[in-house]
Amino acid sequence: MNPRKRAFRSRWAWFALPALFLAGGAAAQDFSKYLNNAEMTAWLKSFASAHKALVKLESIGKTLENRDLWMLAIANPAGVPAEERPALLLAANFEGDQLFGGALAMFTADYLVKNASRTEVKKCLDEGVVYILPRANPDGAEARWAPVLWDRRTNATPVDDDNDGRVDEDGPDDLNKDGLITFMRVADPSGAFIVDPEDKRAMRRADPKKGEKGEYALYWEGIDNDGDGFINEDPPGGVNINRNFMHEYPYHKSEAGRYMVSEAETRAVLEWIVKHRNIAAILTFGASDNLIIPPTSSGQLGPARGLDLVSFAEASVVGAGKTGMFAGGLASLLGRGGRGGGEMMISEDMLQMIMASGGLEMLFGGRGGGAQRGGTAASGAQQPSGRAAMPARQAATTVNASDLDYFRMIAQKYAEITGLRTPPLSAKPEGAFFQYGYFQFGVPSFSTPGWGLPDGPRGGGPGMSQGGGAPAGGPPGGGLPSAAQIQQFAAAMGQRAGALGQRGAAAAGGEAPAGIDKAILQWMDKEKIDGFVPWTKVKHPDFGEVEVGGFKPYAATNPSAAKIAELGKSHAEFALYLTSLFPRIRVAELEAKNHGGGLFRIKAEVSNEGFLPTALAHAVIARAVKPTMVQLQVPPESIVSGSAKTSFIQALNGSGKRQKFEWLIQAKPGETVALKIVSQKGGAAAASVVLK
Amino acid sequence: MKHRIVHLGLAAVIALILLPRGGMTQKFSDPPFKVKLDFNRWHDTDELYADMRKLAAAWPKFVKTSSIGKSHQGREIMLVTVNNPDTGPEMSKAAMFIEANVHGNEIQGGEICLYTVWYLMENYGRLEAVTRLVDERVFYLIPTINPDGRQYFFESPGGSARTGHVPVDDDNDGLFDEDGPDDLNGNGVIEQIRKYAPGQGTHRPSRLDPRLLEPVPFGETGDYILLGSEGIDNDKDGRVNEDGPGGYDGNRNYPSDWQPNYIQSGAMDYPTQLPEARAEVEFLASHPNIAGVQSYHNFGGMILRGPGAEAVGEYPRADVQAYDELGRNGERILPFYRYIVIWSGLYTVHGGFIDFTNDTLGMISFSNELWSNEQYYTSAELKEQQKDPDSPIAPQKSRFFFDDKLEFGDQFLDWKPFRHPDYGDVEIGGTWKKFTGRVPPRFMLEELCHRNMAFTLYQADEMPLVRLGETSVEKVGGDVYRAFVDISNPKVAPTILEKAAQNNTVRPDLLTLEGKNLEVISASWIDNKAVYKLRPSVTSLIDQKNLKRILIRNGLPGKTTRTIMYFLKGSGEITVKYDSVKGGTAAKTFKLRS
Repeated sequence: MNPRKRAFRSRWAWFALPALFLAGGAAAQDFSKYLNNAEMTAWLKSFASAHKALVKLESIGKTLENRDLWMLAIANPAGVPAEERPALLLAANFEGDQLFGGALAMFTADYLVKNASRTEVKKCLDEGVVYILPRANPDGAEARWAPVLWDRRTNATPVDDDNDGRVDEDGPDDLNKDGLITFMRVADPSGAFIVDPEDKRAMRRADPKKGEKGEYALYWEGIDNDGDGFINEDPPGGVNINRNFMHEYPYHKSEAGRYMVSEAETRAVLEWIVKHRNIAAILTFGASDNLIIPPTSSGQLGPARGLDLVSFAEASVVGAGKTGMFAGGLASLLGRGGRGGGEMMISEDMLQMIMASGGLEMLFGGRGGGAQRGGTAASGAQQPSGRAAMPARQAATTVNASDLDYFRMIAQKYAEITGLRTPPLSAKPEGAFFQYGYFQFGVPSFSTPGWGLPDGPRGGGPGMSQGGGAPAGGPPGGGLPSAAQIQQFAAAMGQRAGALGQRGAAAAGGEAPAGIDKAILQWMDKEKIDGFVPWTKVKHPDFGEVEVGGFKPYAATNPSAAKIAELGKSHAEFALYLTSLFPRIRVAELEAKNHGGGLFRIKAEVSNEGFLPTALAHAVIARAVKPTMVQLQVPPESIVSGSAKTSFIQALNGSGKRQKFEWLIQAKPGETVALKIVSQKGGAAAASVVLK
Repeated sequence: MKHRIVHLGLAAVIALILLPRGGMTQKFSDPPFKVKLDFNRWHDTDELYADMRKLAAAWPKFVKTSSIGKSHQGREIMLVTVNNPDTGPEMSKAAMFIEANVHGNEIQGGEICLYTVWYLMENYGRLEAVTRLVDERVFYLIPTINPDGRQYFFESPGGSARTGHVPVDDDNDGLFDEDGPDDLNGNGVIEQIRKYAPGQGTHRPSRLDPRLLEPVPFGETGDYILLGSEGIDNDKDGRVNEDGPGGYDGNRNYPSDWQPNYIQSGAMDYPTQLPEARAEVEFLASHPNIAGVQSYHNFGGMILRGPGAEAVGEYPRADVQAYDELGRNGERILPFYRYIVIWSGLYTVHGGFIDFTNDTLGMISFSNELWSNEQYYTSAELKEQQKDPDSPIAPQKSRFFFDDKLEFGDQFLDWKPFRHPDYGDVEIGGTWKKFTGRVPPRFMLEELCHRNMAFTLYQADEMPLVRLGETSVEKVGGDVYRAFVDISNPKVAPTILEKAAQNNTVRPDLLTLEGKNLEVISASWIDNKAVYKLRPSVTSLIDQKNLKRILIRNGLPGKTTRTIMYFLKGSGEITVKYDSVKGGTAAKTFKLRS
């Protein structure tokens, strides 16, 4: 059998562009605005072309609408091949609306190149590589430049969201012709909502226990295009790429795709990353966070927080995916219908009750309906055998206790560098890329929206549990909770936070501390952001007079472009800091002793001079990172005792930690014995000794 | 040449002497098959494909071969479609999807696929049941979803035949598939190596049969040392055979309950990473007309259904009912096979194929584990006799007995001396050849093909089939009418699995009404029209805004007739249509008049 060596090599395209780009015109992006795909592509090409010595640009795949998925590789090409050096992957904009993160990623690329001669940057680019994927969902992102804007996270894949046999047939409609899809409130005596007396722009759920009577129903801005009784229940697209990866994949939930890795974007990223096992850390910019709020002591992430208005509007379309469920199913649970007869009907009230109890997704699993797990129907199939009695293993869903210190220390550094203390909205990561990065790819992996809110006023005010169904005992206080409070809250929620499903950013209201809308409004007021359309009367074809208003699309999910440069610098510094932590394998000692009679003792010490271990504890458990191979380059039969010719170190901690090896070999004086060390994340090392 | 055929009557013997006619020497064979294939031998990938093409050439109207993609090594993944175009395009009929051989060594499903296409065609127009099945349904067959693995099983001396052939670095040394087994004595089989070391060994020949090597009991010594399977240290890293071809499980790479390698070994890095799994998933996802799936494996005599893992949860009761009906009849069609749930009866499987087809695509899916060793004991007496340790068919001995007496020693390789480059003088052997154990003896292959095909055709016949029954109209007053329409599904399978309905993985059935100036005042379900007419009761209104296009999200259960009662305003002809993705379409026209 012939040994076959398969070294995966990237095919980087060198872009030789016309001189006008080299002049630097296009390359001189001032990061004062968000870029559409054409602008971004032009900039990336000119940037790569202007800095050929350091930058390579590659398209790692194409989207349904034929846009490229651009990947930059920034490294000093001299020395060890880039694919054998520890690397940082910076990736952004998996959710179509998370444009700020993509801008931060591009800013970082620019910053590294501009500062390439600075000592820390030089070290980073000489000894490592930084890969940058600024826009993982370009089709979704392009919606930001559509004539009418709506908060679109999804790619272009047509999806029959309400499963009625018609695809993308009921999207939003711009009733007030302001080019924005906002919300619609309709005076309705059977509605569940009232105007929040504390901030008349916000809405909240009426509490019958306090004698409050609902006055409004809430919808997305739009009409019932397909005449099914629901408004905007099946908009164009799509799949949110950050809900299409494997870890805690949200089966059958909205925006998750038909199955894991169903999307071209997801597949392109995975195909690429499994050929780049040198990636030793991942930083993503997106809708979820584990940096502003680090994982709790039990390894859980902070709770998701979404706009209340969004969750209220989403609730109005949940029933669309259940219309036509006859008999069985949930009918008996909800007290309607019967054998072969009744259609399951879910009143708005019922929905809200379910939602308020925090269990919407437990029942429906998103707009499309939920998996009913653990049915007990007796089957004619034969009974369990002995083999089935073995307890099934479950994949880890919390950060391993041994890895927590790294995560927390890095988060602390993040707070120091960026000054961010309070996250804005954040989505529960289900099928998110950065979670894949830790739980399956096995490296320290992070996500941050890349910006934050100022800390809100503390104490007083209505409880956080109001309206959106957060369990009692949520963080106290009116404005936004501090990082510490959220941590405490998340810890208190314990497993429950993980057990409850949720619709990405959109439905966070079902689970997170509600009442965030007022805090977002305060932030907008303070920062003078024009992010809210005042409620204004409009004629509606179905309802007559309605009011249209609410948060503008993208306004609560992205800060103004002026923040790109400000926060770009600190995020570039943070990225640089991450690259300084990589494990670095060295041969610390190698000596040979002649015992006479052709017998030699070889002693070696292998050390990790970096900070991070060669493999995290979870990576060892998950076999996600290869053990570091220590191989003595002698014929196997010459080894008479001691270590095997090919030995492995599962994980070697950083900060100079060493591991010893010893071989007794038969050889001749004058021969050279070489030692070869290969670490997936810590680089390669070699040394040799002449036998005397 | 003369043929003589003898018929025995009650009182007379009639001899017919026949004259030969132009070369039709087999005129009275029964039946006179058009295409002759052999089902007493094994077909490698190329032979299997060639035979399928032979069938397509013989029945070009019905049988088409095509490719759904390429394997890792560039082989076609052949799809065989059986469809009668006269009864409608493929998408208008429920389809049965049959695949095999995801594990390279589990070959006999390929022969069943071949047998199935051949049998359907040879008996079309001859047997009413087969003719109807071919006219009503579509069949998609992938005789081997792992053509590389199948070919490797035939060509190579063995070892790692279960896997596919995408290289995997099993031993973490950065090299891929660099140290597999080596057929040192060149006899086409990877055998075991033992060394004779009198008084110092760990093994000894068994008293049950000297060909069997057994570990010595505690405190005793043996005369043999076992040195593993045939091979050398190809990459000189100090280890032998530590990184053979592939090294994963193709049936753990599907995107339903897929779990990473440390939870489900062999899963690969992400679902549908394997080109074969990806091609199959994309084919299935774009063929919503597929209502039934069979995935042939070996071995153990099982009719498996999901779920593959306990945490996925048992199927909803209605789905279990349909599965049980099919599975129990399967046990009757397939003696020695047991109907079993994968996780509880076999072992836990994450990311398995039939979990994907059931859970993500809403297709009723079985996986038969072909061939049970129990099929050697075809009588109760033999089974009883097995309990006697002195019987030649007692456990461990029986395999030798059956090989000696039924296959004339075809399958076992005895120990033979060999000079090994590293170990010196050793013996190589003590190994069963590949065409035994997991596959039946060749003479039993045809029965295996037929019975398993019969079960799968039964499943295909019980796929949903929508029919509109009686419609009746009565005048209520003015131009308002009451209409009753019977909708039935006489088959076992529902048009939509309950789990599929809950998860919205199958498009709902659509009940539509068309007519000029038609207004639908209301629509309601009634269980039984006769009872309703005798003793009318209040029925729930169907609460949908558009009653001319009613969504029926959980479809029509199996073996059920339901009646919908409309109150309609209008006049003239009305067309009612029931459109099901998996149960076909039925339409009927009636008139609004008293």
